[in-house]
Amino acid sequence: MPALTAAIANLKGGVGKSTTTVMLADGLAHYYGMNVLVIDLDPQANSSQMLLTERGVQAASDQGKGTHHLLGDFVAGKPAAAAPFIMPNAVTLEELRLAEEHDERLGWISSLPAHPQLRLRELGLEEEWYSKAGTPTTLSDALAAYFRKALTPILPLYDVVLLDCPPHLSPLARAGLALADVFITPTIADSVSTWGTKQFSEWVGKFIAPDLPKRNFVLITRFRDTKYARQVASDLREIYLKDRWFGPTIPESVHVLNAMDRAAPDSYNTFRGKYAGVTSDVRRLAERFTDFMSQRTGATWQKVRD
Amino acid sequence: MAESTRLTPVEYLDRFFDELRAEVRSNPKLAARLVKALGGEVVFESDDKAEVANPYSLAAQGSKAKFLSVFASMKLPEIKKVLKENNLATRVDMNGKTADQLVEMMFERASSKVSERSSSIF
Repeated sequence: MPALTAAIANLKGGVGKSTTTVMLADGLAHYYGMNVLVIDLDPQANSSQMLLTERGVQAASDQGKGTHHLLGDFVAGKPAAAAPFIMPNAVTLEELRLAEEHDERLGWISSLPAHPQLRLRELGLEEEWYSKAGTPTTLSDALAAYFRKALTPILPLYDVVLLDCPPHLSPLARAGLALADVFITPTIADSVSTWGTKQFSEWVGKFIAPDLPKRNFVLITRFRDTKYARQVASDLREIYLKDRWFGPTIPESVHVLNAMDRAAPDSYNTFRGKYAGVTSDVRRLAERFTDFMSQRTGATWQKVRD
Repeated sequence: MAESTRLTPVEYLDRFFDELRAEVRSNPKLAARLVKALGGEVVFESDDKAEVANPYSLAAQGSKAKFLSVFASMKLPEIKKVLKENNLATRVDMNGKTADQLVEMMFERASSKVSERSSSIF
């Protein structure tokens, strides 16, 4: 069965898109033994950095890996193939690394990383495309078709593909949304994030996925337990996005910040060591998203660890 | 807490500096911050240097000898504490390594991070 493709997206910046991407990749790989591919479409390359480190992102780029190189192939008119641009060894968890060494399939995380060059390359492409009377929409459609063709042969290798989308609607970002089977929307419990999330949700519903409510998994992140935050979260669930599937609320936590700072490309951690005080939140995130996937696909996944 | 006794400005300042002196003696982190704020160089000689020494700022100075002079004399648990608190190694990374190997790892990783973050990748 081809992988389910999930876009982690919100126009509002700073809501935890990249952190959610990595937490979910770790949770699905660790608890369910899923093979996860993380595709970073955000030129800020935050999730790539969290998985590979800053040095790792640069090394990957130097080795010809990354979404900016795949985009380069599109520009050059080369055949669409994503496999050569993927870093297969992006896992940071000791348990998964050891399982791989012993040839036991207990989940894996691969990365098609981003790099700041991605946006520069996309800007060059836009200049050229628009000079030939192309439009943002035709470019977005062409990119979506190319990426779909590039990914199709490798989708059966994975259980889930997570597309970490940037907080804007460039042609490449729109192409990423067009590739998604489902949409994960992280948001923060404050009024500006609620407004931004609702605007984004309406735009996606109008232009990308008319059936968005059925395909949308919403996550309140960086939650500080105050009366105000509880009220905003309650409004989101009961008024603004009441027809969506909600994941667990992820607390604002120093553990999360630490978990996203990989010491070096050869640094590994245990799952519990990495997530410390938020381990149960990551477990619940994986459980809830797996329920959501089952509801979407009819498939079921068994836990390989408790 | 205000007192009813009237003091001269000099007496008030004496009290303030007495308090500051007492705090600096018992709080090495504050002492190091104050020395830095005044433009001085922090020298790590006391037993509490594990509390104060910052591997990133020492690595940024570029001298491995100076780096080693601070960290190589530390005991294994102190080295592990510095590595952990500065996100330079996980427990898994530190397993089975000697103090010398850990200090070497600390220098390599701190230097690497400083170099990555101070240069443009464009």
